[in-house]
Amino acid sequence: MLKYTVKRLLYSVLILFFVMFIIYILMYNMPSGYVETKARELASRPGATKSYAEWLEDLNAQYGMDKGVVGGYFVWLGNAVRGNWGDSWAWTIPVTQEFHNTVWYSFALGFASFIFEILIAIPLGITAARKQYSFTDYFTTVVAMVCISMPTFFVATVLKYVLSVKLGWFDLSGMQGRDYMTLTQFGKILDVAKHFVMPLITLVIISIGGLMRYTRTNMLEVLNADYIRTARAKGVPEKTVINKHAFRNTFIPLVTMLGGTLPGLFSGALITETLFSIRGIGYASYTSMTQADIPFIMFYLAFISILTLLGNLISDLLYAAVDPRVRLS
Amino acid sequence: MNHSYNLNEALKARAAAQQEHKRENGEIKLDDLSRVKVLSPGRQVFKRFIRNRLAVFGSVMLILMFLFSFLGPVFYPYGQKQIFYKYEPRNVDYGMVKENTAYTGYDIDGGAGVERSVNNKMNSIIKKMVAGDAQAQTVIGEERGYLVEKLADDVYRASASEFAEVCTVGSGEAVVGTYSMVGKKLENAKNPAEGLEAAIKAAIAKDAKGGTFELDGVTYTYTRGKAKSYEITAAYDGIQYADEAMDAGFEDALNAAMQAENGFEYDGSFYAIVKQGDGAKAYRLSNLAPAKLYSRLSVSTYEVGQKISAEMNLAALLATAGDGTFEAEGKKWTIAREDLEWIVRDEAGEEFMELMPYAVRRYNGDDTMEYGLKKALMEKALQMDRDGEKVGTITYGLPMQTDTGEYVTDEEGNLSYQDTELKLSRRDTGEFVVNCQQVIYVINMFDAPSKEHWLGTDGDGFDVFSRIMYGGRVSLMVGFVVVFLETFLGVIMGGLSGYYGGWVDMLIMRLVDIFYCLPSMPIMIILGALMDAMRMDTYIRLLIMMAALGIMGWAGVARLVRGQILTLREQEFMVATEATGIRVKDRIFHHLVPNIMPQLIVQATMGMGGVILTESTLSFLGLGVKHPLATWGTIINSVSSASAMQHYAFIWIPVGLLICVTVIAFNFVGDGLRDAYDPKAKR
Repeated sequence: MLKYTVKRLLYSVLILFFVMFIIYILMYNMPSGYVETKARELASRPGATKSYAEWLEDLNAQYGMDKGVVGGYFVWLGNAVRGNWGDSWAWTIPVTQEFHNTVWYSFALGFASFIFEILIAIPLGITAARKQYSFTDYFTTVVAMVCISMPTFFVATVLKYVLSVKLGWFDLSGMQGRDYMTLTQFGKILDVAKHFVMPLITLVIISIGGLMRYTRTNMLEVLNADYIRTARAKGVPEKTVINKHAFRNTFIPLVTMLGGTLPGLFSGALITETLFSIRGIGYASYTSMTQADIPFIMFYLAFISILTLLGNLISDLLYAAVDPRVRLS
Repeated sequence: MNHSYNLNEALKARAAAQQEHKRENGEIKLDDLSRVKVLSPGRQVFKRFIRNRLAVFGSVMLILMFLFSFLGPVFYPYGQKQIFYKYEPRNVDYGMVKENTAYTGYDIDGGAGVERSVNNKMNSIIKKMVAGDAQAQTVIGEERGYLVEKLADDVYRASASEFAEVCTVGSGEAVVGTYSMVGKKLENAKNPAEGLEAAIKAAIAKDAKGGTFELDGVTYTYTRGKAKSYEITAAYDGIQYADEAMDAGFEDALNAAMQAENGFEYDGSFYAIVKQGDGAKAYRLSNLAPAKLYSRLSVSTYEVGQKISAEMNLAALLATAGDGTFEAEGKKWTIAREDLEWIVRDEAGEEFMELMPYAVRRYNGDDTMEYGLKKALMEKALQMDRDGEKVGTITYGLPMQTDTGEYVTDEEGNLSYQDTELKLSRRDTGEFVVNCQQVIYVINMFDAPSKEHWLGTDGDGFDVFSRIMYGGRVSLMVGFVVVFLETFLGVIMGGLSGYYGGWVDMLIMRLVDIFYCLPSMPIMIILGALMDAMRMDTYIRLLIMMAALGIMGWAGVARLVRGQILTLREQEFMVATEATGIRVKDRIFHHLVPNIMPQLIVQATMGMGGVILTESTLSFLGLGVKHPLATWGTIINSVSSASAMQHYAFIWIPVGLLICVTVIAFNFVGDGLRDAYDPKAKR
């Protein structure tokens, strides 16, 4: 197990190396003169402390732009490994600070939607599987499919239209009401929570379908297994069959999958946060992307690549941990 | 002889024989072939597929969507970039009432004209004259001198003349001459004082570098110049004549004029004064000749659109100063002043035109307003000016318009009139803007659904329904191309990897890992921003976007293909292909790949929905396909602001539903196909 983990970790590092290299090539090929433009802009910002030439030199050296793609990549890599991620161009503060400012909002949003997703999707998926070919089954299947097929922006727009424009329950976008500053500490928390409701609903709607289908498929598989037939044959009550025998076995793939998504809670919801102007890491990175903020984008993409790899690893390890029959090699 | 045995034909023959037998006996046995229906694998899949209601629904929706997107535009009359216009009554800027502040110059026949620098200054010169209520003003230009005289209110005439310096007034220094050491005498000296030559000689003898000396109460300064000569300047005070001295009367007039800072007339000649530091220079103007006429009066004819020749205009202006009659265009005219305007009448006493200091024009500058309306607007403006009002209204009959913006005429072809309220508002710059309701031709923006436009029009005046059709084309096409590309790449890479195993497998699988790990949405957003910065053509963007999505998506297909091939290649038929020596290429692509076709088709169908979602999201963010090319994402994007969303739900709701239905349909069909190909997986 330990050997397997170490091997996988080493593989992950190798993969990460090449993933970041590909991304670096993309960033390196930003339109020519970009750094010059950026330097000019930075130098002419109010309160700028460096001149254009200084900024240019600084930026080129900082990102190894003068050393070619490969050389530049190693400069970036060297800095990144030492934890030196540079200053964000779009936010004008250190990248890690902007990350720290935003990631917890994203995590709160992701975690809440994760909980709701589990609470809604798993019971529905199990019910659908138990009553296969019933109305409930068809209904759940169709709802799951509709949820999977809806574009995020359409869900968000419909929600805004109904809940915000027509009913006036929530603000259209943003994270704070206009009287935020006058509220008490507790009131502030409530205010932010209220602004998180619509993004939360959006996230739950678009991610619920997949989990529902996954639960249903796995439950069906388990319900057709021989040991279920045996349990029923020896007269175990249906409730016990479902809750003990069937569900525990359905649990294996579910835990594997959900465990794999855990790191993803930190990666932020790029589109949803942008549409609702939630100052999470997804929104921050979207803004950075459209403004070609190389340091922040490189950081963010490295971050979510690590999360993806971590998710895969966790899911494989959990598979072995939950199911004693599985041996990892 | 090559004997072939065809099972199908044999079965058919047997069935025919049994049919015959059955007809004879009228009985059916248990193993009668007519009781057992044999279906081909394809028919079996089809049969299972159409038993699935959701899949059938999906298929029907997809077929409809394809017909709608690809055939619809053929029958629909409007294009995707066709802009629609309409006539609409709007409160428009109808006209403008403005006091003329600029004086226009009119060339007098045979006049000398006015040099450019003076002509440019003329407006301010005349305004100064108006402010000081002066009758005449002299100007010295670079080439000639000018006398500007007031002929009548708002009419001024500039006369050009030669000029010569008469004298300098005030204190200062003037060059008297030079003293040359070579000839030992004064040179270039004008009216040198007596004894100057002796005095300078003495001074130089005293100090060769330079210095001052006094002679007859005047202080002279000499400085050493080039070529062994000294320049001598004299300090002066009072009037220094350039040529001959004038009499005392002139000096009195000059001093008086200095106070008034204006030119003066003395002894039949005009003199101009030009200030220089504390003092001034006086010039004599001679040979005065009329050069140009300046006036701020503009012409309004009683009949609309009558053209007035420049000669007639000039003649009328000149006549304002004369006896009030003039001849132009072969006729005699009289001109008389009434209040602010000058009215021109013909010989019969009929009013023909007016000259007035106000310009009443249509807002675009055309002089097509009727005289009566002009007069009414001008009077209102004057009254508002007097009373200090900012806003005022008058009601006046304007030509009546139909709903389509045409003017209504009666049987004789005369315009019909309709009382319209005209609102005058005064701008900070002094002019009055006239607003009123007029039917005008505008872009038909955000029109609600109607018979002509089933889903209305969008913010650019495009027909939404036709854009949805064309948008569907792009969205579906993007789906197909991307899925084809990723399947193509995936099959090749997965096939190689699964068949060869070993280091090839290792290499390709690590590549798959890398592409699996690449965050596709951020990369697409970065690419979009990059292409934005490069201002790329929208069609090229589309191609690049499809290529990028395809390259990003092949890893999943490759994994699927590899997994399938790993199980298939151990089977007997693959051993057989090896034994019969079939080429490797054919083994992979003729024997292995067809066996994984079902999984590929399912994967591709499901993938299609995903790609359409990604494309529409990117277009919605404005980073995919760009306006004016329509895709479903861009159509929604165009109305995504809060107010547009609220008011133009008829645009974005149908489009959003269309995206949903298409993606759902692809997913249903994909699901149905999977169940049909592999019924065991479902049960």
